[in-house]
Amino acid sequence: MCQLIGWGMVVASMLFFARAFNITISKNVLFGRIAIVFVGGILTTHILRLFIKWRGWMLQSVEKVIPKLAIAMVITSLMFSLFILACIGLFDLPHEKQTFAARLLASTVNNGLLILAWVLIYYFYHFIEKSRKQQLETLQLEALIKELELKTIKAHINPHFIFNSLNSIRALIDENPARARTAITELSNILRSSMQADKTETVSFEKELSIVKDYLALENMRFEDRLKVEYEIDEDTLDQQVPPMMLQTLVENAIKHGISKHIRGGVIKIISDYKNQYHQLAVQNTGNLNGGLNAEGFGLSSTQNRLGLLYGDKASFEIKQVTPSTVEAKVLIPVQMN
Amino acid sequence: MRAIIIDDERLARAELRKLLQDFPEVEVVDEAANAEEGISKIEAQNPDLIFLDIQMPGKTGFDMLASLERSPNVIFTTAYDEYALKAFEVNALDYLLKPVEPKRLADAIQKLHFVESKEPVGNGEHTNRSLLSENDQVFVKDGERCWFVRLSDIRLFESVGNYAKVFFGNNKPLILKSLNALEERLDEKTFFRANRKHIVNLRMIDKIEPYFNGGLLLELKGGEKIEVSRRQTVKFKEMMSL
Repeated sequence: MCQLIGWGMVVASMLFFARAFNITISKNVLFGRIAIVFVGGILTTHILRLFIKWRGWMLQSVEKVIPKLAIAMVITSLMFSLFILACIGLFDLPHEKQTFAARLLASTVNNGLLILAWVLIYYFYHFIEKSRKQQLETLQLEALIKELELKTIKAHINPHFIFNSLNSIRALIDENPARARTAITELSNILRSSMQADKTETVSFEKELSIVKDYLALENMRFEDRLKVEYEIDEDTLDQQVPPMMLQTLVENAIKHGISKHIRGGVIKIISDYKNQYHQLAVQNTGNLNGGLNAEGFGLSSTQNRLGLLYGDKASFEIKQVTPSTVEAKVLIPVQMN
Repeated sequence: MRAIIIDDERLARAELRKLLQDFPEVEVVDEAANAEEGISKIEAQNPDLIFLDIQMPGKTGFDMLASLERSPNVIFTTAYDEYALKAFEVNALDYLLKPVEPKRLADAIQKLHFVESKEPVGNGEHTNRSLLSENDQVFVKDGERCWFVRLSDIRLFESVGNYAKVFFGNNKPLILKSLNALEERLDEKTFFRANRKHIVNLRMIDKIEPYFNGGLLLELKGGEKIEVSRRQTVKFKEMMSL
């Protein structure tokens, strides 16, 4: 297709020059010549193209290819000229009165320029095509990585928590069978929602909060009077959409650093309200941010990543010491209007 | 066997206590909810065995063991802790995963019985509790790795600042104890202060050579060469002669 257009343009330019310079040859001769160039050009360069493909020259380094390509171009040009001269002879068209060899040489040099242009265009086209494809592939790959990341982040629920809960439940079966039964329901809810978290990008805050409540009820069963929970929830925020298991991750983190490390335990406070154009979600816990956050690990960096993937730079996440004994992790998500 | 359960969760302790009811040979004499409490109860009760949770508030179970003078037999209990499990695999320590499988518990106790019958560490022997005997084991933790080491397996203590380097097998981890403090606790019949920087296990000496200045050069079974100071040489000769 490109071959046709390309050589068509060569033909058109020949016609143009013929007109422009008012070359006085008969129309038959002119069209004959043009047809020969057109057919010959397509034929020879097509052979060249197949050859380049067959030898895989597109993939080789430039230094290696250039000498080979130069030879191939000379040969192609020679073939092209032979074709033209043969046709001229065959159809008995008029030509310059010179020896065959001289005509061949002149024609070869002449056509060599055409072939050179063809090769340049050919390479240029393929170069652009290749880089475009590469870019496309990189983009696709990045999207895939994002998706996978999101999946693994969401599916993350601390196995330590699961097995400790199961152990507590086993102890409760004798001690407090009713509590053991509700604990099993709570654990089921958490496991179910962590599995379903893979399927949706966001859930209603109400749903997320009920999971967090189940989670905290179970942690309360483990830590008993070491864990105190407070809620400060604006009921209007219950309809807002939030990434599934995100608040859960923050609460888990708060328990890990605020409660389980301290002998006397502490308080966890969950806050949800509107602040300007944002839905503010905050988890406060007793404790200190001992210097760097690097040691905080998977939970917090994954929260940052998830927000970035879902909302770009419209959402924000920070964790800081708000009072000397309270650490707060805060997420701001743009408010969605229904 | 007298045992103490150390776990920060009351329910976890209750559950283990219940499981242990099927083993009349194990008597749970006390419980502790964190490492500090654990240390004081171990010192007060002097148990044969402790069931120890690893993740606890304050100090971890490993840190608690490392701060004990002498470690009782330990069975670790943990819910899920990849990092800790790796440490166990390397050092073949015994551990139980919570919720505990009764069969695994039976195996662990069985294994302890076997060890006890092979090498009696009868507690009645220790008339002087402040002194460590050869059969006592210590828990050594160095970064991510940890070991239970019998004192009789230790060749050499080397002073490195406030720390002491402990030589046993192919390992030489650091412990946060000064050589002087160690010397006070070690049985001088087995462990000899060769010089300012070294305490050697007399049973681990391979060769003894005279050294200049009237001192001695000891070659240990691990190939370490330790000089005995002149003053200590006199003492050494005294001890080794009849």
